[in-house]
Amino acid sequence: MTRLSHWFLASAATAALMAGTAAQAQAPQQDTSRFVMVTHGVPSDPFWSVVKNGAEAAADLVGAELEYRAPSTFDMARMQQLVQAAVASRPDGLILSFTDENALGSVVQNAVDNDIPVITINSGGDAARKYGARLHVGQSEYEAGKQAAERMQELGVKKGVCVNHEQGNQGLDQRCDGFVDGFNGNAEQLATTYDPTNIRNAIVAYLNEHNDVRGVLTLGALSAEPMIQAMREQGATDMFTLGTFDLSPGILKALDAGDLDFAIDQQQYMQGYLPVIFLDQFVKNGLLPAGDVATGPGFVTRENASQVIKLSSQGIR
Amino acid sequence: MSSTETKQSVAPSATDRDERIQRVSFWKRALNRPELGALAGAVLVIAFFIVSASGTGMFTPAGIVNFLEVAAQLGIIATAAALLMIGGEFDLSIGSMIGLAGILIAIPAVEYGWPLWAAILLAFACAGLVGWINGNLVNKTGLPSFIVTLGFLFILRGLAIGVSRLLTGRTQIGGIQEHIPGDWFASLFSGEVATGLFSWMAANGWIATNFAGNPVVSGIPVSIVWWFGLTAVATWVLLCTPYGNWIFASGGDANAARNSGVPVHRVKISLFMFTAFSATIFACIQVMDTGSADTIRGLLKELEAIIAVVIGGALLTGGYGSAIGAALGALIFGMVQMGIFYTGVNTDWFQVFLGVMLLVAVLFNNYMRKKAMEAR
Amino acid sequence: MTTQTPMIEMRSVSKHFGSVIALSNISMKVYSGEVMCLLGDNGAGKSTLIKTLSGVHQPTHGDMLLDGKPARFKSPAYALDAGIATVFQDLAMVPLMSITRNFFMGREPTIGWGPLKRIDWKYADRIAKEEMARIGIDVRDPSQPVGTLSGGERQCVAIARAVYFGAKVLILDEPTSALGVKQASVVLRYIARARADGLAVIFITHNVHHAYPVADAFTLLSRGGSLGSFRKEEISREEVLNMMAGGAELENLDAELAEFQRNDRERKADGAPAPGHSESVAAAGHADAPAGERLASDR
Repeated sequence: MTRLSHWFLASAATAALMAGTAAQAQAPQQDTSRFVMVTHGVPSDPFWSVVKNGAEAAADLVGAELEYRAPSTFDMARMQQLVQAAVASRPDGLILSFTDENALGSVVQNAVDNDIPVITINSGGDAARKYGARLHVGQSEYEAGKQAAERMQELGVKKGVCVNHEQGNQGLDQRCDGFVDGFNGNAEQLATTYDPTNIRNAIVAYLNEHNDVRGVLTLGALSAEPMIQAMREQGATDMFTLGTFDLSPGILKALDAGDLDFAIDQQQYMQGYLPVIFLDQFVKNGLLPAGDVATGPGFVTRENASQVIKLSSQGIR
Repeated sequence: MSSTETKQSVAPSATDRDERIQRVSFWKRALNRPELGALAGAVLVIAFFIVSASGTGMFTPAGIVNFLEVAAQLGIIATAAALLMIGGEFDLSIGSMIGLAGILIAIPAVEYGWPLWAAILLAFACAGLVGWINGNLVNKTGLPSFIVTLGFLFILRGLAIGVSRLLTGRTQIGGIQEHIPGDWFASLFSGEVATGLFSWMAANGWIATNFAGNPVVSGIPVSIVWWFGLTAVATWVLLCTPYGNWIFASGGDANAARNSGVPVHRVKISLFMFTAFSATIFACIQVMDTGSADTIRGLLKELEAIIAVVIGGALLTGGYGSAIGAALGALIFGMVQMGIFYTGVNTDWFQVFLGVMLLVAVLFNNYMRKKAMEAR
Repeated sequence: MTTQTPMIEMRSVSKHFGSVIALSNISMKVYSGEVMCLLGDNGAGKSTLIKTLSGVHQPTHGDMLLDGKPARFKSPAYALDAGIATVFQDLAMVPLMSITRNFFMGREPTIGWGPLKRIDWKYADRIAKEEMARIGIDVRDPSQPVGTLSGGERQCVAIARAVYFGAKVLILDEPTSALGVKQASVVLRYIARARADGLAVIFITHNVHHAYPVADAFTLLSRGGSLGSFRKEEISREEVLNMMAGGAELENLDAELAEFQRNDRERKADGAPAPGHSESVAAAGHADAPAGERLASDR
């Protein structure tokens, strides 16, 4: 009996709580716009928390309502469903990362057909344009990878390796492809898992077997920090040219200390922030930039690292 | 063995008979052990790499420590998963517990300035609570632990993400390494042991130098010590203590165990708590090691732990298995995972390679066990 | 013999489950060094009676006396402490575990102190071996899994365990029902030995042929009530069989089978052959033992 009443209380409390959030979500004032942002970034990816922070800050600024959605694993089918659901909820604007043309092209088309303005962020700008997306805010992954290779060659590297911790992610694969092409084929891809120990030991094992490789590129904070740690442990930071995509407090500290040579920053805070501002302007005044906005690639090196550190710890860079 | 047969075989002299018993039981014991197949599988995998990765650095001291470290971290949770599986239950929330425990250590220490030991204790306390809840839910509802802990797989991962986003706005928390020096409790989970021995060996030229020109191995990573230690303790508990007998009994037939006076519920709760603790030990080691916590840590580790335990000869249905087998399973897994980098196989084929090697190890394991049973 | 106090005595014990009367007014005395056979068909109340004796149920009316003193068991653990050991049909054995591990399950002998406290395997193996040897089963290796033993041997391990841990009253629930003739005889031999050791044994069975050789007394149950207790010298095997609910039924069965046979014979005479058929029916109809076994095997 007591157990039953507990159960009842608990469900009542849950119901009340859910009703509360539902009421919040469903009862916007007449003049606030509602934007939905769908990304492929798993919620635990530090990169995407910064994007989300930017979007939330912009929404607060313009007084719009923002819903952020992302699949819990990297899963295009799930992402497609999330975008479809977002379109069905008739938002005033849709922001999405366009990682896979095949999976997302038709749903973008569907949104456009329903008069929902679409801005793509992060990746896939050119492809999305075909389906009626208005604007792209992001960087070209392939180009960024290529530039990383060029930067490494300037620093004297003949042969490099690209550590891919999420093979099958088009954006990451393109970075590595760009990197390999930038080296004219004198580079390889090293596939690893998410696990930091696995990443670190795989890099050490690989370098032990490939003595001529002198440049290591990682594709995110997830793999950059284990790499930096491995190099520090071996006292080999000066021996290699080390680069990474994205920023994190750990990466910035390594840049500041000179252990890491460069980080490619795509200023992802802007990828969250700008689309919300743009969509707000579009809804209110019909204004929109005429061309795509390139938020990156920008290189962060030892020279400008310290100024970025503070912002990074606040989740802005 | 029918009773008539045995009566005929009773030898006249007592000492004579004892000797015969000794001999027979030794062989039977050896062939009967669950880890036999895993040992055979490990030997096969080692042989494979000795052939295919010959002349590479895989079996140099550095290479060995390299794959042992990966095996060790898995082995820590596999040991606990083995005890739990022998006790007849699964815990699918181990991986998520690793992620949550890491966050619980990092946030208080980095964001709120707690001493690291207090943050670690907090993580252990929460792990104990999670294990206790898991165990009680399984006991009280009688639902399969597969389902109950599957719920916690999502809940704990979600908590890790939710809590760290709420309190820090990020999902990765760095800067823990600065807190480690001077914290004796944290030092249990970080660094290396026997560093003096290794530098002495390097000085004598017994250890080669690595790609960076340094002595390749500066010590034994603490995770390997934990792995060996936990495996030894778990083996002792299983084979030598009444509690170990209760674990076998609870997993073999919970009803029979209860009728014989075994506190089955308490055994299961303690086993669930132990898996959560092992996940926290894993998290501690990884957090101290990498200097950061990340909500994604431990992804799919529950699966890897179960794989290691099953490779190690445990029955999925409970009541049979060994901690040493789980350790061998973890060794096979770690060796295969790292070994591909020495074989020159393009890493695009990483998962195919991993899957094929595991399958081969399991099939060989199974074959050896069958052979052993026939020989009895 | 009758001057001594019964080891366990039931005085007008009744057990009601709501409006269902599972046991009514049962009285029974079992002495040390004696085997009491509890006979009855399905639904006669045997299970309820055992569960009342072993502390699973408490009697609604009536008293139980253990060694002359009134006893009331709140749970099976209390009954066990008082020396009443029950070997249920599932035996409380884990097939994957060794004989020794099963033998001492829940009551492991330990040596050492503190964190070094451990099972005394040498002692445990020796005791398990000795106890099994006492009942004439030579266990070469007490670390072999119980699953490798035959059904009868497993039953014996369960009984040996109960005896070793100080049972004064041993309740055996259908110990021979799932066993073949040879296996059953192993168990029956052991029951006789337990009696010789001075235990009071309560042996529940369907099968008169198993019960009669080892029993000293019989209590017959039918539809929750007792048909009475008899000393072995007061009653013959056939009488016992007839008094069981199945006795009359079997007579009817015999008559019916005879009827079939007669019909068959007539048909054969009419020129419609039914080769072999009639013989097999006749064989089944005449042999009592298989019929009894068949009854025993449905639980």
